[in-house]
Amino acid sequence: MNDFLELVVGASASGCVYALVALSYLLITKPTGIINFAVGEWAMLAAFGGFLALSRFNLPYPVGMALVLVAMFAVGWATERIAVRPLVERGAPALAPILALLGMLVVFREIVSLGLGPDPQPVPPAFGFGRLELGAVAGSYQSFFIILVTLSVFAAVWYFFERTLAGKSFEAVALDRRAAALMGINLRRVTSVAFAGSATVAALAGVLVAPNVSAHYLMGLPLAIQGFTALVIGGVGRVEGALLGGLILAFAEQFTVRYAPVPPGLAMGVPLVLLIVFLLLRPTGLLRAREARA
Amino acid sequence: MVASFQRRVRAAVAGVMVLVVPVAFAQNTIKIGMITDKVGPAKGYAEPVANGAIYAVKEINAKGGLLGRQVELLVEDDQGKPDVSATVARKLVDAGVAFILSVSVSPATQQAQSVTLETKTPHMTPSNSGDTLTTQVNNPNFWQTGPLGSTQISTLLSYARNKNYKRVALITDNSELGQITARFFKAGLEKSNIQIVSEEVVPLGSTTADPQMQKVRAANAEALFMAGVSTPENTQILRSYRQLGLKMPVLAGYNLSIPVYSNVAKGLLDGVTFVDAFDPSKPETKRFIDSFKKDMGSDPYNLNGYGYDGIMLVADAIKRAGSTDKEKVREAMQATKSWQGVMGGVGSGYGFADGKRTGFDANGMVVRVYEGDQQGKVVYVGAR
Repeated sequence: MNDFLELVVGASASGCVYALVALSYLLITKPTGIINFAVGEWAMLAAFGGFLALSRFNLPYPVGMALVLVAMFAVGWATERIAVRPLVERGAPALAPILALLGMLVVFREIVSLGLGPDPQPVPPAFGFGRLELGAVAGSYQSFFIILVTLSVFAAVWYFFERTLAGKSFEAVALDRRAAALMGINLRRVTSVAFAGSATVAALAGVLVAPNVSAHYLMGLPLAIQGFTALVIGGVGRVEGALLGGLILAFAEQFTVRYAPVPPGLAMGVPLVLLIVFLLLRPTGLLRAREARA
Repeated sequence: MVASFQRRVRAAVAGVMVLVVPVAFAQNTIKIGMITDKVGPAKGYAEPVANGAIYAVKEINAKGGLLGRQVELLVEDDQGKPDVSATVARKLVDAGVAFILSVSVSPATQQAQSVTLETKTPHMTPSNSGDTLTTQVNNPNFWQTGPLGSTQISTLLSYARNKNYKRVALITDNSELGQITARFFKAGLEKSNIQIVSEEVVPLGSTTADPQMQKVRAANAEALFMAGVSTPENTQILRSYRQLGLKMPVLAGYNLSIPVYSNVAKGLLDGVTFVDAFDPSKPETKRFIDSFKKDMGSDPYNLNGYGYDGIMLVADAIKRAGSTDKEKVREAMQATKSWQGVMGGVGSGYGFADGKRTGFDANGMVVRVYEGDQQGKVVYVGAR
C-alpha cells in the first residue's frame, strides 16, 4: 500500500509536468489553430535559465524563478513576432507557421548546446531534495511542490478563460476568428499574448522538472511528445482536459512499469497502445471543446 | 618611396604564401578523417573524445609528424545519424584519407562501415563500447578499442567476487548502447550463476525512475548493477535510489566514470562503485594529463584519453606500415600487440588477437569508488 501511495504522488507530479506542457500547446492552439512543437524547447531553455539563475548565480529561488518566467514571456512574444506573424501577414498556408516553429525548435536547441555545452547541468529544487511523509502518503518535497504549483496555475488559467473579459476574447477568437475581429478584438494582441503565456507555462514545466531530470539540451523533445499526448487525451479545446490528460498519461506510464506483468522493454509501449485504443473509443479526447452557441 | 615599394612587395609575397603554402601543406600531409557528432545525442561524449584526437595530432606534428609528413585531421559532423555518417565517410574517402576514426553513436559507426568495407579504408572507433560493432559486419578494415560491455561486467564481477551475490537487480536505459551493454551485463551475471531478480529499463526522456526503483526495492536485490549510458537517466536512478531509501551496493558501468556526474549528481554518488579505463596514477596517463593541460589549458579526463589513444594507435600502425597504402596499414593495425596507451590499468595494452578486431585489453579496466562526490582512487584492476 505504501508503494502504491508513494507512486500516486510521483505519478501525479509527472502528470502535472505533462499537463503544463499540454497547457502550453493549448494556449496557442486555442486562439490560433497553430501547433507549436517548440514548447518542449521552451521548457529546456527555462531549465537552463534555472541552472544559470539558481546554480551559477545562486539567486534565491523565488527571484530566480521569477526572472526565468519573465525572460521566457519575452522569448514567447519574440518567437511570435519573428517566426509566426510575418508568415500570417503574408498569407502563408496554415502549415507554414508550424514548420517555422519546428525550425525555431532546432535554433533554440543549438543555441543552448553551443552556448552552454552538451553536458547536463544541475538545477536545485525549491525546498531541497528531502522527503515528505504524511502518514502513508510519501514523496519528495519537489513532487508536492510541482503538484501545488500546477494546480494553482490551472486554477488561474481556468479563471482567466471563464471569468475575465480578456479570457472571453480568447474564447471568441477560438470559436470564430473573423467574427471576433469584426467585434473589435485585436487578433494580433491575442496571438502575441497567447505565445508569451504559452512560453511562460512551458518555462514553469521546465524549471519544475529540471531538478529531477537535470537541464540538458535534449530534454525538450520528450517533453513535447508527452505534453502533446496529454493534450490529445484530454481534448484539445479545454483547460481542464490538459490536466486530466497529463495525469492519465503519467499514471498509465508509471503504473504499467510498476505493476503490469510485461517485460521492461515493452512496458513503455503500453501507454501508447492505451492512447490508440482511447482515441478509437473517443476521438475528440476526454473533454470536448465548446461549440459556438447560436 | 622605396620603403613603400618594399612593403608592397612583402605584402604581395605574404599573400602568395598564404595562398600557396596551405596547398603545398595539404598535398604533403597524411590525412586522417574523423567523423564526430557535433549536434546529436552523442555530442556530450563525442566532443571530449574528439578534443583528445585533435590534441594527439598537434603533438605528433610538433614532434615532426609521421613518416616525415605532417598529419592533417579532416573533421566531419554526422549529427549522430547513421545515413549522414555513411555520407561523410564517403566524402572523407574521396578526400584521400588514410584512416577514418568514428567518434559518434554506435549505429552511426556501424553505418559508416558500409563505406569503409566497400572502399577498403582502415576505420576505427576509439570509444564505442557496444560488443556487436565488430561482429555484425565482417569488415576486416574496422577495429574497436573502447572497453566492451562484456569487459565492464567481468571486471565488476571479478572485483565483487568475494561478496557472493546471488540475487541482483539490473537497470539500464533504452538507448541502443544502453540495451547492448545491459545484454552483455545480463550474460555476464547469468554466466556467474547470479540471479537477476529485477530487470528494469528507464526510457530516455523519463521524468522519474521511481516505479523502476520501487520494483528493485520490492525484489530485495543484494546489489544493483547499472548498465545505462545516459547521464540524465542514470542521475534519476541514483536520485530515486536515495529518495526511496535503498541501501544495497551500486555497481555501475563506465558511464559513471565521466566527471560530469560530480556536478549533476551531487550528493547522490557516495559509495557508488564504477568501472573506468583511466588510472590517473599510471605513468603514461600522468604524462598525458600534464602535457594536455599545458597545451589545451584544461584538465583532461577519460574521454579525452580515448581520442588521444585512437590517433596514436593509428599513427603507430601507419608508421609500422611505412606508408599510407590501405592494405599495408590494415595489416599493421591488425598486427598491433600490447600497445601501451594512456587508457587502461597499469600493465595493460591494446592488441588484436587473430580473427578479432576489438583491441581493449580484457584485463585493462579498473574499478573505482566514489568518495563523496569525487572519484576515488583505483581499488581493483582487471578481470582475472
